[in-house]
Amino acid sequence: MRAYVLSRLAQTALVVFLSLTAVFAMVRLSGDPVLLFMPMDIQAKDVNEFRARLGFNDPLAVQYARFVGGAVRGDFGESLRYQRDALGLVLERLPATFLLAGTALLLTLFVAVPLGIVSAVRRNTLLDHVGTVATVLGQATPGFWLGLMLIYLFSVQLRWLPTGGTGTVAHLIMPSVVLAAFFSARIARLTRSAVLEVLGEEYILTARAKGLGEGRVIGKHTLRNSAIPIVTLAGLEAGQILGGAVITETIFAWPGLGRLTVQALLNRDFPVVLAAVFFISVMYTLVNLVVDLLYGWLDPRIRLR
Amino acid sequence: MKDLKAWLGIGLTAAAIGAAVLAPWLVPHDPMQADFVQSLRPPGSPGHLLGTDQLGRDLLARVLYGARLALFIGVCTVLLTALFGGLLGLVAGFVERWPSAVLMRIADVQLSFPFILLAMTINAIVGLGLQNIILSLSAAGWVVYARVVRGEVLSVKQRDYVQAAAALGMSRSRLLFRHVLPNVAPSIIVVASLQFSSFIVAEAAISFLGFGIQPPTPAWGSMLSESRDFLYVAWWLAAFPGAALALTALGVNLLGDWLRDTLDPKLRV
Repeated sequence: MRAYVLSRLAQTALVVFLSLTAVFAMVRLSGDPVLLFMPMDIQAKDVNEFRARLGFNDPLAVQYARFVGGAVRGDFGESLRYQRDALGLVLERLPATFLLAGTALLLTLFVAVPLGIVSAVRRNTLLDHVGTVATVLGQATPGFWLGLMLIYLFSVQLRWLPTGGTGTVAHLIMPSVVLAAFFSARIARLTRSAVLEVLGEEYILTARAKGLGEGRVIGKHTLRNSAIPIVTLAGLEAGQILGGAVITETIFAWPGLGRLTVQALLNRDFPVVLAAVFFISVMYTLVNLVVDLLYGWLDPRIRLR
Repeated sequence: MKDLKAWLGIGLTAAAIGAAVLAPWLVPHDPMQADFVQSLRPPGSPGHLLGTDQLGRDLLARVLYGARLALFIGVCTVLLTALFGGLLGLVAGFVERWPSAVLMRIADVQLSFPFILLAMTINAIVGLGLQNIILSLSAAGWVVYARVVRGEVLSVKQRDYVQAAAALGMSRSRLLFRHVLPNVAPSIIVVASLQFSSFIVAEAAISFLGFGIQPPTPAWGSMLSESRDFLYVAWWLAAFPGAALALTALGVNLLGDWLRDTLDPKLRV
């Protein structure tokens, strides 16, 4: 078990290193970030001075070595826009993103999973059909459009909720609902099919035949056995929630990592982009590791190697 | 219920294709033609069924031409990713030596990053515009095909008829393209149909965030992005392009589900 976790952590390090290298290569091959960042009326010697200060005049191999050397110590350089340490900027934004993503994930689990279970157990009832329609619609509705429509309804028309920003619980409602909507649809759908599959198994028939109450049949025998595909997808989705957060944070002016990344890309502020890429890929792979560890706990037949 | 979903999928997809193909015949207006006298007219105004935007451009025309752009991007991206991802997966599954391992590691690296963020980062770096958004989405999306196809090939090539053909001395390329590929094709089609809607939604999201297709080109994502400034005065600018996008995605999703149930019920994407 310990060996497994260690080898997975080593793999994580390798994957993060490779993705940073890929982004570094793309950034450096795509043109001159300095020229894009300078005012129009600047003198050539000032440009050169700025380039020399940031080390853009060195050979690419030297720049790469310096970048890797800095990155392992958590130093991604200075933001071109804010003239500040890029890592610090990213770290500042992390709590807001965790709050948003965490709320959305909880919302997903407390709405989508029960909905999926009830849909499966009460199959082909009105409730099941309503649930199916809701999940199909939820999956097709783009988050940024849902966000705009909610702003129109709750902020412009009803004036119940703020259009964006942060600070109170009211600010958190719309962003987390939008972020949760898409994922809830997928997870509810998968929960339904996973529970249906287990309900067809012979051990469920046995459990019912020996007179077990329906609550125990569903609560214990069914749920535990249908948990694996649900946890798998929830893990994959937890990573994708970071992608969804990019869009949601931009719509609702939520000061998180996603919005910072979009702005850094728009401004070609590449030290910040690289620091953000680093954090996103670390979080994503760690979430997947936790999911894999959960399998072993949910299903002791699975041996982790 | 199942038939209903399939028919709804076919109907919505057909409507989107119809709108894209017939756009110039369905509306008399040019989607780029500004007319400041007519700006921000609400839906139902004479001559403008869905109203007009801040520059007085006809919204219906822009939504219909937006279908053109969305479907074009979707088709190109799906073809590119299916071709390259499928081919790489085919070879990786068939050869099983070091190139295969390298390819799958590259896939792992790509999958350690959310799809939309990857496509957006690539797009920000390679540049804006139609060609580049198609390239970015393809560069981010080929992995799914490579994975699915490789897995399928690994199982198909163990089957007796492939072994028998190999024992008869059939050349490797003939074996690959005559016996393995046709048996993998259904899953490629299913993945393509399921990926299609995620590509058009991703394109819209990326254009919405300010990359990808730029105004004044009538793309649904950039129209929604512009509509944010007018949300207080003109809800229709946000409502209709988004509804068109959602309905198209819904139609293609339902069609994809139906294709999967018919061709390859066990496939999970």
